[in-house]
Amino acid sequence: MNTNNIMQEIRDINLSYLMLAQHLVRTDKDEAVFRLGISQEIADLLGNLSTAQVMKLAGGSMMLTRFRFDDVAILGMLTHDSKSQSMAHLHASILLSRQPVETIC
Amino acid sequence: MAKKPKSVLEESKEIQLAVELIQFGARLQLLECEISLSRDRLINLYKELRGESPPKGMLPFSVDWFLTWKPNIHSSLFLGIYRQLVEHTTASGIQAIIKAYRLYLEEIPHDEYEEPTLSLTRAWTLIRFLNSFMLTTARCETCGGEFVVQPYAQYHFVCGLFHVPNRAGKTRKLASAIQMHSVA
Repeated sequence: MNTNNIMQEIRDINLSYLMLAQHLVRTDKDEAVFRLGISQEIADLLGNLSTAQVMKLAGGSMMLTRFRFDDVAILGMLTHDSKSQSMAHLHASILLSRQPVETIC
Repeated sequence: MAKKPKSVLEESKEIQLAVELIQFGARLQLLECEISLSRDRLINLYKELRGESPPKGMLPFSVDWFLTWKPNIHSSLFLGIYRQLVEHTTASGIQAIIKAYRLYLEEIPHDEYEEPTLSLTRAWTLIRFLNSFMLTTARCETCGGEFVVQPYAQYHFVCGLFHVPNRAGKTRKLASAIQMHSVA
């Protein structure tokens, strides 16, 4: 994959992310805060962006989103096979549900 | 003493909430606690929506159910969602419970024919038990997740996902389904 393609993919993901986030915030802000793992302020901010602003924000060459599992031990445990496969999914949900939300400093 | 007449708008909101709760399978006791409509009207509403009388009898009042293996995992998941909503959004009270319950249903493996492990009434009871300190939460020493525990069991806690019982997931129903399959 050459650099051009990579940048194009990142832009596509950023754009999809921002559009989805806006849709979620405008439909139900509380749910959006939970699903996206962001604070209410960021939710408001995203919800109020104009289309032009969204395009501008998505146009960079870096990802706008961040990997939410920042604990190596937990990540290893969740990706390795466990005794009960269906429970591994629930386990991940329990841990992810209580991850701190992203906030604006 | 004459009761203050309720505004029509207020009442329609209450009915809307009652409808939502009944559709999620809430028991009558829950409705009576959360909604200020008369018992008769709630029963009528229940019959209209579900086509049957609400089940009679008391609600399960033991905390033990929440501590058994599978219910504990489901309860802990619901509680995690609920707390996250309460801490980071404006949702509170029964609204936060409904929202958290909806999100919980999305997370669990979906099966149309099977009731979800945690019913809405159980979820509501769980929040009441926590508020009255009959249950509390502890962090698992291995994974750091938050789990429902008894008040005196919160130290050196390791969650059930690291102690999977031998018979986990092997319910009678599943066993008979497998048997049916092998016969067919």
